[in-house]
Amino acid sequence: MSNESSCETNQLAFTYGALLLRIWLGVRSVQTGIEKFAGSAASDQAVKIDGAVNSYGLTSGGSVKHYALENYHGVPEALMSKFTAEPLMLKVALPLYDKVLGPSLLVLGVAILLGIASRTSLFLLGLLYTSLTWGLILIKQDEGVSWLGVHMILVVMALALSNHNRFTLLKKW
Amino acid sequence: MTPSLTPLNRRDFLSKTAAGIGAGLVLGAPRTAHAATDATDKIHVALVGAGKQGRVLFEAMSNIPGLHFQAICDIWDYNRQGGIAKVRAFQGHTPKGYSDIDEMLATEKGLDAVIISTPDFWHSPHTVKCLEAGLNVYCEKMMSDTIDGARAMVHAMEKSGKLCQIGHQRRSNPRYRYVLDQLINGSKICGQIVNVNGQWNRAVNSSQDIGFNPKLTIKQDILTKYGFRDMQQFMNWRTYRDLSGGPISDLGAHQIDIFNWFLGVPPKSVFASGGHDFFKNREHFDNVMAIFDYDTPQGGVRAFYQVLTTTSAGGGYYESFMGTQGNIRISEQTAYTSIYREDSAPSWDSLVSRGFLKKQPAPPKPEPAPGAIASYESAAAEAFELPGDLSKPPHQPHLENFFAAVRGQATLTCDARHAFESEAPIYWVNPSALSRQPIEFTAQHLTV
Repeated sequence: MSNESSCETNQLAFTYGALLLRIWLGVRSVQTGIEKFAGSAASDQAVKIDGAVNSYGLTSGGSVKHYALENYHGVPEALMSKFTAEPLMLKVALPLYDKVLGPSLLVLGVAILLGIASRTSLFLLGLLYTSLTWGLILIKQDEGVSWLGVHMILVVMALALSNHNRFTLLKKW
Repeated sequence: MTPSLTPLNRRDFLSKTAAGIGAGLVLGAPRTAHAATDATDKIHVALVGAGKQGRVLFEAMSNIPGLHFQAICDIWDYNRQGGIAKVRAFQGHTPKGYSDIDEMLATEKGLDAVIISTPDFWHSPHTVKCLEAGLNVYCEKMMSDTIDGARAMVHAMEKSGKLCQIGHQRRSNPRYRYVLDQLINGSKICGQIVNVNGQWNRAVNSSQDIGFNPKLTIKQDILTKYGFRDMQQFMNWRTYRDLSGGPISDLGAHQIDIFNWFLGVPPKSVFASGGHDFFKNREHFDNVMAIFDYDTPQGGVRAFYQVLTTTSAGGGYYESFMGTQGNIRISEQTAYTSIYREDSAPSWDSLVSRGFLKKQPAPPKPEPAPGAIASYESAAAEAFELPGDLSKPPHQPHLENFFAAVRGQATLTCDARHAFESEAPIYWVNPSALSRQPIEFTAQHLTV
């Protein structure tokens, strides 16, 4: 009786663990994908001088963050030039990778959150993180490599808990 | 959109013109607008010169409603096709392309305005042609590579009755207009301005010759027809004496224009020095320093300007107006703009509380160095900043002013006559540096 109870408790803990990992990795991936569409624009809010809106067209300054399709940048510009200069980087592949990175993060993140083919989605996310890791190794961004290494551990943990994966839309794959 | 100058200064200035120097100058009334189109009609625009600066202007114009880009003219296929593609992507249909401005003017019907951003030595011929064709013109500064070329532009504008805006875009910049109107002339926070200091320090990497893909070389007969010896000269016309005024006009003209506009009078003299200190084979000096003397209604002012093409350190580019009570350092870049109150000046707290200025946090007091003679040091000045910023590309307000004037809704902030009056002293910087002699200005130097 006590063994069965302990087993049930563990089962629940594993289920929660699997769910938390899916939520974390899903949110991380979706929001990172959304941020690829983020841009900033100068604020056009007119400033008040002596109690009235100024007639010169002076605005409050600073920048306002906004999202738009035309803001899309898969690989940050600052890194793009570094990647381009790398001899091992395929010049043809880089623009393609730049185009698919954001949408890939969004699709995989949503799939993981909703539990659509969780194992395959997690595997593909792991491959995506591996590709990012390779790029960062090329340009010697060791901190980024470590950071992605932590992500990979979480992906592998989520895969290891696949038997306890619940609340899914598509259990297969 | 009238120029931001006080009646007091205008009177004072006009009294000076009676003395003979500088004529109508920077304080005269701006050119009256001509209603060229109905406010709701599209303004039909041709772009003459589709290089780097042409693209900058197009990007700024793409934010202005009511424009139709009808034609693009550039002798270089690469620029012309690139410009056509940009315009097509923007407005959905293809503008007509031309390599020759005469053909464009003869062929295109219904044009209202032309934007000229060709090399400096073509500004005057192109502007005059367009004005004579009955078009309103926005032409990049420097007006011309020669003062006579600039004079011809003023004459053509006045004879044609059309608008001619010169691209000193700071004249329409809200930050500059606010500083002049409200802080210098209105609140007089500088007190008596006794010194002006301006600079544009550009990094050596940004000043290198511009290369080109040999496959894109323009045919020699076309280069020759349009005044270029070869493709290298076409790409780097700014470094040749027959084609431009060099760094002092390329970069300095914007800022020396601000000296003259803000002080409200022309300088009395210039003494300049220049050298081929790094770019040994260039025709123009790579570094130029100039001192202008002014006699303003408030008293004498000495203005120093330097343009470097070898070093970017030292605060970038700005114009600094230093007075007995405060200093305003203004730049197109917000980061280079700062305002300081002299320790002995009356408090600016009321200006801050009413929103005319924003106060910056006081920096930490430096530890006194051992053995420092503290009594010789001035107290640290309080730092302030402008209450607002410009949220558009820097050229956009100037172009907006031009198109509003074309619609008859505004007056130009920098028409050709006023631009000439402000630019005229700049034409004498290189001659002073070459002769190593100061030049005392007479009416002959500065008038149209």
